[in-house]
Amino acid sequence: MADLRFAGVRKDYGEVRALRGLDLEVADGEFLVLVGPSGCGKSTALRTAAGLEEVTDGSIHIGDRDVTHLKPAERNVSMVFQSYALFPHLSVEENIGFGLRARGDRPKQARPKVLAAAELVGCEKLLERKPFQLSGGERQRVALARALVREPEVYLLDEPLSNLDAQLRVNTRAELKRLHQRVGTTMVYVTHDQVEALTLGDRVAVLDEGVLQQLGPPDDVYRRPANRFVARFIGSPAMNIFPAERVDGSLRAGPFLFEARPNLPARVEVGVRPEHVQVDEGGEGAPAEVQVVEMAGNETYLHLQAGDSPIVARVGAALRPSVGSTVHVRANAADAYLFDAETGETLS
Amino acid sequence: MKPSNWRHLPAALIAVVFLLPLYFMVSGSLRQAGLAPPRTPELLPSPLAWGNYERAFELVDLPRYTLNSLFVVAFAVPLTLLTASWAGFAMARLSRRPAGALVALSLIALMIPLTALLVPRFTIFKELGLINTYVPLIAPAIMGTSPFYVLLFYWSFKRIPPELFETARLEGLGPLATWWRVAMPLVRPVTVAVAVLCFVFTWSNFLDPLIYLFDQEKFTVPLGLRALSTLDRTNFPLLLAGSVVATAPVVAVFIVVQRYFLQEFRGAGWLGR
Amino acid sequence: MLRDRERREYAVMLAPYLIGIAVLIALPALVTFALALTEFDLIRSPRFIGLQNFRDLWEDDIFRKSVRNSLMFILFAVPLRLVGALAFALLLHRKFRGVGAYRTSAYLPTVVPDVAYALLWLWIINPLYGPLNLALGAINGPTPAWLTDPRAAQWVVILMSLFVIGEGFIVAMATRQGIPSELYELGDVEDATPVFMFWRVTLPLMAPTLLLLMFRDTIFSFQANFVPALIVTGGGPPPNETTYLPLFIYRNGFEYLRYGYASAATLVMFGMTALIIYLQWRIVKRWRHAFVV
Repeated sequence: MADLRFAGVRKDYGEVRALRGLDLEVADGEFLVLVGPSGCGKSTALRTAAGLEEVTDGSIHIGDRDVTHLKPAERNVSMVFQSYALFPHLSVEENIGFGLRARGDRPKQARPKVLAAAELVGCEKLLERKPFQLSGGERQRVALARALVREPEVYLLDEPLSNLDAQLRVNTRAELKRLHQRVGTTMVYVTHDQVEALTLGDRVAVLDEGVLQQLGPPDDVYRRPANRFVARFIGSPAMNIFPAERVDGSLRAGPFLFEARPNLPARVEVGVRPEHVQVDEGGEGAPAEVQVVEMAGNETYLHLQAGDSPIVARVGAALRPSVGSTVHVRANAADAYLFDAETGETLS
Repeated sequence: MKPSNWRHLPAALIAVVFLLPLYFMVSGSLRQAGLAPPRTPELLPSPLAWGNYERAFELVDLPRYTLNSLFVVAFAVPLTLLTASWAGFAMARLSRRPAGALVALSLIALMIPLTALLVPRFTIFKELGLINTYVPLIAPAIMGTSPFYVLLFYWSFKRIPPELFETARLEGLGPLATWWRVAMPLVRPVTVAVAVLCFVFTWSNFLDPLIYLFDQEKFTVPLGLRALSTLDRTNFPLLLAGSVVATAPVVAVFIVVQRYFLQEFRGAGWLGR
Repeated sequence: MLRDRERREYAVMLAPYLIGIAVLIALPALVTFALALTEFDLIRSPRFIGLQNFRDLWEDDIFRKSVRNSLMFILFAVPLRLVGALAFALLLHRKFRGVGAYRTSAYLPTVVPDVAYALLWLWIINPLYGPLNLALGAINGPTPAWLTDPRAAQWVVILMSLFVIGEGFIVAMATRQGIPSELYELGDVEDATPVFMFWRVTLPLMAPTLLLLMFRDTIFSFQANFVPALIVTGGGPPPNETTYLPLFIYRNGFEYLRYGYASAATLVMFGMTALIIYLQWRIVKRWRHAFVV
């Protein structure tokens, strides 16, 4: 068990800057999620931590060791690949015990450890089977068991749930969380799915284009996004962003009118999350035309058009206006976010 | 993490060793015929005897043989590309059972050595009165020259997402049109590879011309080279000069197109599992 | 599912290939069977003589020698070529600077026309002038008389076959490149030595292809020595030390005009090939269990 620290890590692939000076500390025993869109550098960060890629600059520490130039095997980490990387010609037991055998354990020595790891993930009944005989979820468990069996200081997981179907993904998420609670070792988890990030992580690190955008507990990242990117990336449906116009002493943002604060930069944007858009069929508020109605179980997503501004609202299931009808929208200033239109930083 | 590449040294060594024979071919062809044996292996002979090439051309009609070989190749290669890609395409589009049977048939046919067919093929062509013509030399091209080429095309076409073909089908394209418009443009590297392989094979083919061609003027280059060797058995520089002339076209073509050939097949999962 | 027009077009596309196989492979194979039971010199009509050809083969010293030579050749050439192809594939499958040139060099000898290749070697092994003996002499090594010493002559033919492993190299390389690189990254993380990865991962995953290569090479080796034997050694040194089966068949068929006899020999050769492949298959099956972690 150890902490993992990235200090000024840069990774260039020729002209492409995959990581630009990453500073990140993963606490001992923490479950940290690296999240961001494709190409943001999250997988690269993971691979440099594993030692599968060399850093162009900066350093990586595990515990009190500087592992920046150590080979992967010397770092005492375990990795779970997105494609699981199971050996097709080996049985589940042999797959799990692969690392042990590579380090010289005889099959007899390896067996109890393999069994223990298999039981932890729930695949102890599959030991004789070959990968091609397993379902996607089962394969994923085997990959996990293999990572567990060595009891490393840090676990690195690269989008392990991406290849599972939706239902399975949700179930496995909870199991992963339970696993982490039992094992307690530091885990670094990479995903592009922000829901996974929020539900799984003790802390969430949002990356974009090789730069860390925000690091904090899920709640922080959701309620107090550091900039427009984080605000839009986290939360589904995405936050509504309106360019703001100054009208007398107020700020007009889309259909909403807010009191303007003093000392605002020249151009600002206002963000309102879909769940904070209050929708009424009649009553106060600006008019908006209903264009699309998405029914999502006990919620409804409304895609509205108010003048020039498209708005997405998240409302209860009871409200189901018909397409083409007009509703009225309001929002509280307390729920709104202010962004500097130039830098994207959050102001309020 | 990655040590400086240790592969360079052994790879360079291998390259040198494997290029040595070709080097010897050229250097040997430039020796003055009839000189006493040298004490040590000489890197470059002196004087440089270009005359060997002249003499080779005098003794046997190399230009004519080259033309003959080109003639055969000009028919064999395009024909092979056509029939091999046709067969490979049809096999790739058929349902599993018939396709599997055809693949098995191809593998079996591949396993049959050409020498085993030498005598009976000759008999057949003799009965058809086609001895001493180029027909027996071009005939294999009608079936794609080798089941290996058919399989190469088959595997390449298999890798194309079937949705592309389905779309073509919905647009009203029949199999032939789909083959020409959709499939072939997507497998250019393989087409080049097969063309080169076929060219090399046909050009170098010694066995078939040996048994089918009797008129000296019809000889192909390998046969001409052999004729040269019977005319002046011990004049190595001469024979090597002829060899260089026979080899140069093939090597040149190969070097020009080898990047299609020796490119990465990563992700193809050819015969892995 | 397929409309009529489509069926017809697929049939057209398959026709040349299938007809070709039938006429150029299947039919000759059948003819061989028939001819083997006859005495035929292409001038008079074939005369049925039953199994006499086979009896004659059994008595024929040259034939027995040919069989022995061919088997010896295969015993050495096939494993060496396979190991060579595999070694090259493992060495050159990853991209690094100049790898294209190295790959091309490894393949180049395969491209040389058989006859030119044979003449070249005739020169290389020339006891007086040839580079090989000159080089050996320069370092005070042995300078055998390659063409007149039976053992040496056989080794020349084997040596010649070792330089033309181009196709096997390509197939092996393609297979190796088809193995997901993540498996090796996992090996890196799990502290597996390169040797461990080779025996436990690379070799087992390449095994099906290597097996196919071995089969193909065995077949190929039964005939690969034809041109070398014809041009380089002439089947000598006497008596017939490097006469291999293909040369035997060729001579009896096209020089002595005993086509029936040659066909019988062809059948025997084919039978031997099938037998050897079968044996290889059985041996490998037994060994598969060794490839377990």
